[in-house]
Amino acid sequence: MSNPDNVCKESVFNSLFKKLSPSLYNFIYFKCGDEKQAEDLVQDAFIKLWKKCAKVPHAKAKSFLYTVCNNAFLNDYAHKKVVLKYNSNITQKINEQTPEYLMEEKEFGERLQKAIEQLTEAQRTAFLMNRIEGKKYSEIAEILDISVKAVEKRISQALASLRKEVKNI
Amino acid sequence: MNDKLLHKYLNNEISPEELQQLKDSEVYRDYLKIAEAAKNLETPAYHNERVWQKIRSATHNKPKVISLQWKSLLKYAAVVAVIISALLFFNTGIETVEAGIAEQKSFTLPDQSEVVLNADSKISYNEKKWNKNRSLNLEGEAYFNVAKGKTFKVETSLGTVTVLGTRFNVLSRQNYFHVSCYEGIVTVNFDNINIQLTEGNSVIIEAGKVVAQPFISVSQPGWMFQESTFENSSIRLVLDELKRQYNIQVTLKNVDESLRFTGAFTHNNLESALKTICLPLQLNYSIDDQGNVTVYGQQ
Repeated sequence: MSNPDNVCKESVFNSLFKKLSPSLYNFIYFKCGDEKQAEDLVQDAFIKLWKKCAKVPHAKAKSFLYTVCNNAFLNDYAHKKVVLKYNSNITQKINEQTPEYLMEEKEFGERLQKAIEQLTEAQRTAFLMNRIEGKKYSEIAEILDISVKAVEKRISQALASLRKEVKNI
Repeated sequence: MNDKLLHKYLNNEISPEELQQLKDSEVYRDYLKIAEAAKNLETPAYHNERVWQKIRSATHNKPKVISLQWKSLLKYAAVVAVIISALLFFNTGIETVEAGIAEQKSFTLPDQSEVVLNADSKISYNEKKWNKNRSLNLEGEAYFNVAKGKTFKVETSLGTVTVLGTRFNVLSRQNYFHVSCYEGIVTVNFDNINIQLTEGNSVIIEAGKVVAQPFISVSQPGWMFQESTFENSSIRLVLDELKRQYNIQVTLKNVDESLRFTGAFTHNNLESALKTICLPLQLNYSIDDQGNVTVYGQQ
């Protein structure tokens, strides 16, 4: 009853929010490409967690949140066309900052963004969770509730498809 | 063919030799370039604080601070509120049941759940929406025997009690909140804290703090058998209940208000009720012609 990790405690709930919500937001954004939806789903997931706080142990909160988001996504958003708008923020190496190089980098970034839009939702989510979020395959597997082998497969496919797209344009 | 090394690279587990091996292939050089560039991509800014505020306002019913831009909307809101309350006034379905001082009242809710109200207590609920929303407001004390079904909620100023189907008692007066579970499981929520009570357990919350969690040995609250029972309760609380049950005035003279009482008094005999309270606490009492009581402390 006075468990210090009780999710029903405001302070525990708030620290869970601070720790987990940015990644959760990215996760949904990778799937749907819609900031508003991502924000709404994060909000709904945490409200659900709060309502069920007595039943969700601290260690299960993360998988609870991802499951809620995933389910909401399946229910409401799965069939919308995904349009991604990424802000590229390519960092340049000082000794390579020639105008030609910058042009090339900028163009490469744009092509990459387009190519990422073309990926399947499953490939894109796994690939960007690894690249942007820096998550290990084991963590991605846990969140998506699939095997590490399946994560490897999705990322291999993503890279093969990105390479093809980037070269084509 | 070299995907194994590629995955090692993506997991930051690759050795320099292995990386060199990977770079020997043109295809993998492309993959590495793409993987590195992808790291520099960003998702749109995430507004942590904004989302948190929304979550908080959805999970807390407390009044919120209203920012300036909302103030201009308030006048419209006020008009809407007046119209809505006018509509509600003529067409509410809000039922209120009240038990006066020295009175108890029992009644049945639309779903056949039974409620017994103790003296000086009030319950209100929406009869029309009852089947959709089993939720009621309580001021005072009541015993519930809830029919099985959807979540059943008792809201009081001191906290909320949530159950599915069970028997329990809720007492909410001033800053004293006492919930007892006689069957099933009930959830008590106050100040964002949840407490689950199983059969035979109770919790006493005074001024927002849990002060005791006594076990219950009886199958129904004492007050339903013409008795008020107390567990380490302040003398003020005990005498307030005495006033409610007998419809009398009670005056204290030189009484130490930190005294606490454990026991029960009858609702049928004021004289014997006063004895039960005063003797163990070494207090004296007198009853005047109008039946009003004065309790004296030791000099």
